[in-house]
Amino acid sequence: MSQTRTIMIECLRYDPEQDQAPHYRTYEVPFTDEMSVLEGLQYIKDHLDGSLTFRWSCRMAICGSCGCMVNHQPILSCQSFLRDYYPARIRVEPLEHFPIVKDLVIDQSDFLGKLESVTPYLVPAQPLTPEDGPNLQTPRQIEDYLGYAQCINCLLCYAACPQYGLNNAFTGPAALALLARYNADSRDAGQKTRMEVVNAEEGVWGCTLVGLCSEVCPKHVDPARAINRNKINSTQDYFLRFLAPFGRGS
Amino acid sequence: MTPAPKTYVRPMNRWWMRHPAYRRYLLREGTSVMVAAYALFLLAGMVCLVLGETAFNLWRGFLQSPVSVIFHLAALAAFAFHAWTWFKVMPLTTPPLRFRGRPVPDRMIFRAALWAWGIASLVLLVLAMRFL
Amino acid sequence: MRTRSHEPIVWSLFGAGGVFAALLGTMLVLIIGILVPMGLGFGPDAMHYDSLRSLFGHPLPALGLAVVISLFLFHGAHRIYHTLHDLGIPASKRMMLACYGSAAAGSGVALLLAGMLVVF
Repeated sequence: MSQTRTIMIECLRYDPEQDQAPHYRTYEVPFTDEMSVLEGLQYIKDHLDGSLTFRWSCRMAICGSCGCMVNHQPILSCQSFLRDYYPARIRVEPLEHFPIVKDLVIDQSDFLGKLESVTPYLVPAQPLTPEDGPNLQTPRQIEDYLGYAQCINCLLCYAACPQYGLNNAFTGPAALALLARYNADSRDAGQKTRMEVVNAEEGVWGCTLVGLCSEVCPKHVDPARAINRNKINSTQDYFLRFLAPFGRGS
Repeated sequence: MTPAPKTYVRPMNRWWMRHPAYRRYLLREGTSVMVAAYALFLLAGMVCLVLGETAFNLWRGFLQSPVSVIFHLAALAAFAFHAWTWFKVMPLTTPPLRFRGRPVPDRMIFRAALWAWGIASLVLLVLAMRFL
Repeated sequence: MRTRSHEPIVWSLFGAGGVFAALLGTMLVLIIGILVPMGLGFGPDAMHYDSLRSLFGHPLPALGLAVVISLFLFHGAHRIYHTLHDLGIPASKRMMLACYGSAAAGSGVALLLAGMLVVF
């Protein structure tokens, strides 16, 4: 058992039934070397203030529920350790750019709508039945999309994206990365529907390549790459329709 | 249906103070002011060249002044920072490249771009020494 | 149905300008502003009126200079337009017109001057 030290955790508090605006409360939290920020928050809830509200589930960086801001850096609280911040105090806030429901809990409904808008599932060229058998892929074909498929919808990338904060209409990093993921899949034939989302002002053109989305992603999805490659595709699509006006149906 | 809960939306004022990456981003974008300013400076040179020798010698004479040296040093820093950051993010925009079946790593693209920068600069310098 | 953005037009010009600025910008500034005025590698007659008139009397150098100026202007206009939005000045039709309009006007002037240098 490692020795116990005490860290100051300054936490944003907001109670929609009481407060007009959020405020901060500081807690003295005893911690050991193996304790994560999430466990620090759980200590507060169990021992200091039962009203502190936050989301969490798996404690192993796969469910994507426990994202929050620590010292203005979007992180998964289960994956960040108190020992790495000590002796400085830490400031814990809900994910940036989302409306706060209560304390560290944000309203994700805007993202869920955006996720739906990118057709985030395989669209087969012809309807398939179980009798058609498995839809085989080569390792090379899997490689084309596997990186983008690691997204756990934790929303750290949205909290890192000032363009989303400045204009909520922007489809945003994770949704556009998942769009690229399905477009890159050899089993998919839904590119045409998704291209409409890509080409829109709120699509890839809402991005100015700040690049922090890719840096904060705990699963190395690299949304900045997905979006900026689609800028090239969107530009080709924009100009090529003048060259081949009869080949494209519309 | 239950009514939407009352939520609090935080303002975005001075958002660049929140993360060093945001300030680096604004610095990168800020180089464009210098790029545009330098284009206008070259355009002024073109105007003077068309107007005649007296006008052009004014523009040419300005190059010797301390103001010009400061302006050019600032422009040099801006263009160099622009080039560095431009090449750094270039692999994000290029379509997936493969060499002998393997994806080309980002640092190879960056290095190739730096070589292109050096070669282009050298060619420009040689041409300038030959023709100016 | 979402409306298609016309951003590819200005983004292409921005990108081309960015490449030119990255590859040639530093050396261009170094030659014109530092090496020639200080006489480093260049004689006192470098960038003299007569030599530049004869150089830009040829269509290729004249057009090349105009294109570089034009692309630099579009590169600047594009980033300035978006950065103003980042800094809290909302993007508007008027702002767009001011940014890209002045780049287009500058490009027009540059091409006109290039033509005059070649013809006269």
